[in-house]
Amino acid sequence: AAGVVASAYLGKKLEVDSILSFDMGGTTAKAGLVVGGEPRMAYECEVGGRVHRGRVVKGSGYPVRFPFVDLAETSAGGGTIAWVDAAGLLRVGPLSAGADPGPVCYNKGGRELTVTDANLLLGRLNSRYLLGGELPLASELSAKAVEQEICEKTGLGVSEAAYGIVRIINSDMSRILRIVSTERGYDLREFAMVAFGGAGPMHACDLAEELGVSRIVVPVSPGLFSAFGLLASSVRHSYVKSIIERQARADPTRLKKWYRELEDEGQAVLGREGFGDREIHLLREMDLRYLGQSYELTVPVRRPMVAKTLRAATLRFHSEHRRTYGYSVVEEDVEIVNLRVTAIGRIPEPPMAKATLAEAEPGADSRVEERNVLFNEEEGFVRSHVFERSTLRPGNVVEGPAVVEQYDATTVINPGWKAEADTSGNIRLVRLA
Amino acid sequence: MRRGRLDPVTVEVMRGGLVYAAEEMGVALRNSAYSPNIKERMDHSCAVFDGKGRMAAQAEHIPAHLGSMPLTVKAALRRFDEGLEPGDMVLLNDPYAGGTHLPDLTLIAPVFRHERLIAYVVNKAHHSDVGGITPGSMAAESSELYQEGLVIPPVKLVVGESVNQDVMELILRNVRTPRDRLGDLRAQIAANRLGAGRILELAERYGAEGLEDAMDRIMGHSKELMQREISKIPEGVYEAEDVLELPREQATLKMAVSIEVEGDHLTMDFTGTDSQVEVPINAPLGVTLAACYYVVKCVTDPTIPSNDGCYRPVSVEVPEGSVLNPKAPAPVAGGQVETGQRIVDVLFRALAQALPDRVPAASQGTMNNVTVGSYDPMTGEGWSFYETIGGGMGARPGLDGIDSIHTHMTNTMNTPIEVIERNYPIRVTRYELRPDSSGAGEWRGGAGTVREWVLTGGTATVSVMAERNSTAPWGLLGGRPGVSGEYWITSKDGTEAKIPSKCTVRLSQGEGLRVLTPGGGGLGAPSRRDRKLVRMDVLSGILSREKARLDYGP
Repeated sequence: AAGVVASAYLGKKLEVDSILSFDMGGTTAKAGLVVGGEPRMAYECEVGGRVHRGRVVKGSGYPVRFPFVDLAETSAGGGTIAWVDAAGLLRVGPLSAGADPGPVCYNKGGRELTVTDANLLLGRLNSRYLLGGELPLASELSAKAVEQEICEKTGLGVSEAAYGIVRIINSDMSRILRIVSTERGYDLREFAMVAFGGAGPMHACDLAEELGVSRIVVPVSPGLFSAFGLLASSVRHSYVKSIIERQARADPTRLKKWYRELEDEGQAVLGREGFGDREIHLLREMDLRYLGQSYELTVPVRRPMVAKTLRAATLRFHSEHRRTYGYSVVEEDVEIVNLRVTAIGRIPEPPMAKATLAEAEPGADSRVEERNVLFNEEEGFVRSHVFERSTLRPGNVVEGPAVVEQYDATTVINPGWKAEADTSGNIRLVRLA
Repeated sequence: MRRGRLDPVTVEVMRGGLVYAAEEMGVALRNSAYSPNIKERMDHSCAVFDGKGRMAAQAEHIPAHLGSMPLTVKAALRRFDEGLEPGDMVLLNDPYAGGTHLPDLTLIAPVFRHERLIAYVVNKAHHSDVGGITPGSMAAESSELYQEGLVIPPVKLVVGESVNQDVMELILRNVRTPRDRLGDLRAQIAANRLGAGRILELAERYGAEGLEDAMDRIMGHSKELMQREISKIPEGVYEAEDVLELPREQATLKMAVSIEVEGDHLTMDFTGTDSQVEVPINAPLGVTLAACYYVVKCVTDPTIPSNDGCYRPVSVEVPEGSVLNPKAPAPVAGGQVETGQRIVDVLFRALAQALPDRVPAASQGTMNNVTVGSYDPMTGEGWSFYETIGGGMGARPGLDGIDSIHTHMTNTMNTPIEVIERNYPIRVTRYELRPDSSGAGEWRGGAGTVREWVLTGGTATVSVMAERNSTAPWGLLGGRPGVSGEYWITSKDGTEAKIPSKCTVRLSQGEGLRVLTPGGGGLGAPSRRDRKLVRMDVLSGILSREKARLDYGP
């Protein structure tokens, strides 16, 4: 969920308010949506439920009535294992080799072929090292593994098998991207994709082409982007006291006392976490419903807690009910179910760097090498320029077919796409026609 | 906005949007409703229809509601054939004008964009009381419709965005729990408003023509998929019979079907089924159609998007005046909940001959409707509680049946014990799986349920409407039948008395009801069952050692 928050934050900076957030790491891929600048929420979810192809099966888990970022997940990452089933079909996942022993090419004892190995064999990934040279790779091991594990059992060629693995994992991921968007009635063609996670930028163009997305943003440090999302959020502690009492009979003095107790607790916890009094913000809310209902609506409550503010909260409930369900009944009894206090510790927003524009042509120092990369089956391997991201300057333009390497990720730019480094260090990809 | 034929991606986006609109309607209905039957058991359904009254999308709710909705909408539109105005909503429950049984109230709202009718949003909810001779309006002993409660023909409950107070008050004066009814009806209105809003958003983005084009194509696509699936069923005529239990001991009513598969078309003919009876198990045509559609979906591809298109390649013929297409004023309370289940059984029994690897053995074949109600002696206010109880699912080809679950035409949750005890003078004393109730087989049927409670205050009227007490859910391909259901009245001094599957009894404080629901039928010869699975069932306590020896040998 932090990734979606980070995408929304980045979207605000870039003035893009419809974003498809796509995060692919070592073991899982996650999809979320930002609509109108805010992460799209789901108001109830089931935990511990059975998941069938990315969707929680209704009634299989324990319902939790709490707002969540609406997220779909699948076990697809760089470490996801490819295998051949009993019927001779090529399968990918759901098991993962993780980071240790990791893909075969890490040469750390991993014997199972992974998505990362496939990307390496297709030239999408640097065949000699990752992490700017800190992690040497053994591409010959990947090649041997694909032959033994896949080619011998299926009769496919090496690059055919590697490309097959990438296509299967992509179709799995395009499904979760559709769950959070198309299945909710949103048209992806109106969205920009933010692609991150160590493996996200490598698969972004393929997925965007399949989904009809024509703009992609790859943030500065894709591997750390979710963590950045956590930095961009404040620390929140929520406290709830259930009372179940008719509003008309409630005593404001007692409510005030209860609110104070919850606030004292929140303030103490944030204090221990190092927040000064001026960084702490306390929010009072109340869950209300019409007597007889089972589901509540949450409304803010002002200070001080006196009869007048309680009445104001009730009026707010009527209008909130009207907004949510299309009607309200002012003469109906209203029940107070919960008192809520949210204690927020404010963290200053992380600054994002800005720079001035350079010329479109990347400097000679940005060019790492030329290598053969397979983008699609029709064209086969094509000679592609490889660039080093840290030396790309704002305004530099790279046209596909190309690859941009950096410490924590590799961005694959398909033929037909154009990438530009912006003044904040993001790579913005646009599909040409 | 965008004109002309839509591309396939847009159609898929719109389909997602329509289904999600129906899902969101369901959430709004549940969240703002007052009665536990809707709030907790989710006994409601929502759908979107196109401007011509054809179902374009539905949420995954209750098959019995959804399958009958097209007839309901048709009846409402026939009544208001001069057209509805923006902001109107039509309410109805008349089983002889598109309804199913009286507690199911359907609310239909037209959706207009710039004065142009573009769609209808529809929801149906089971209200736990609509008047009649017993609390809960599910009387087991009524002999005509008028005893079952208030009959509502298609009427405008909402006129130009405001509630028609005259209609509302007429309804509320005829029911035992007016406060809950008012709350639930408001929730139904809210659900339609929300659904209409979502449809309008789609129309804003793609234009009214775009929406209509998309709905046409969505339905056409389902029709093609369904035709392709039906063509895979071996051609031929498949016949079967099954029975319903009449209240008199051992008397039964025959249900017969003949299914003809010809190319990509399927005909279901119920000629030979017994005539309607003065017992509330007559199934209005909508109920019968719902069961037929459900079965077709089950034996073809359940992932085909559900809408009007799915059912175009299916014809259903039901003799008028029969128990499956009765004439007014035959009583119908149990038609949807009990007879509907038996229609599924008889259809599966016929199709098992054509598709032995797709059809399960008989499930519990009943919903075990229990309605309890009375008046609070202190306040004079009425209360009524309605629930249905899950039982054994029939064994499936290659899989055991699921234990203690609702199957086929219903899809409701159980009422949490905490909710019952907080709202009614009832204490639940037992709720468990029923040992030794499964039908034996290579794949065993699911176990039934034991549910037992005691009345903690005053007196109450209990109506029981159930099936498969004197007959049993059948097995397939050598599998044995499941064990029949049983209903018992318990009293303070420990005495117990068995009661029939359809009856009404009075209880006083300290007396209670024990329900044993049927187990599912088995599939395949018991001798072929994996011994490890038999041992596991014995260890889990769902099968006794004695019964294991009897069914599966030493």
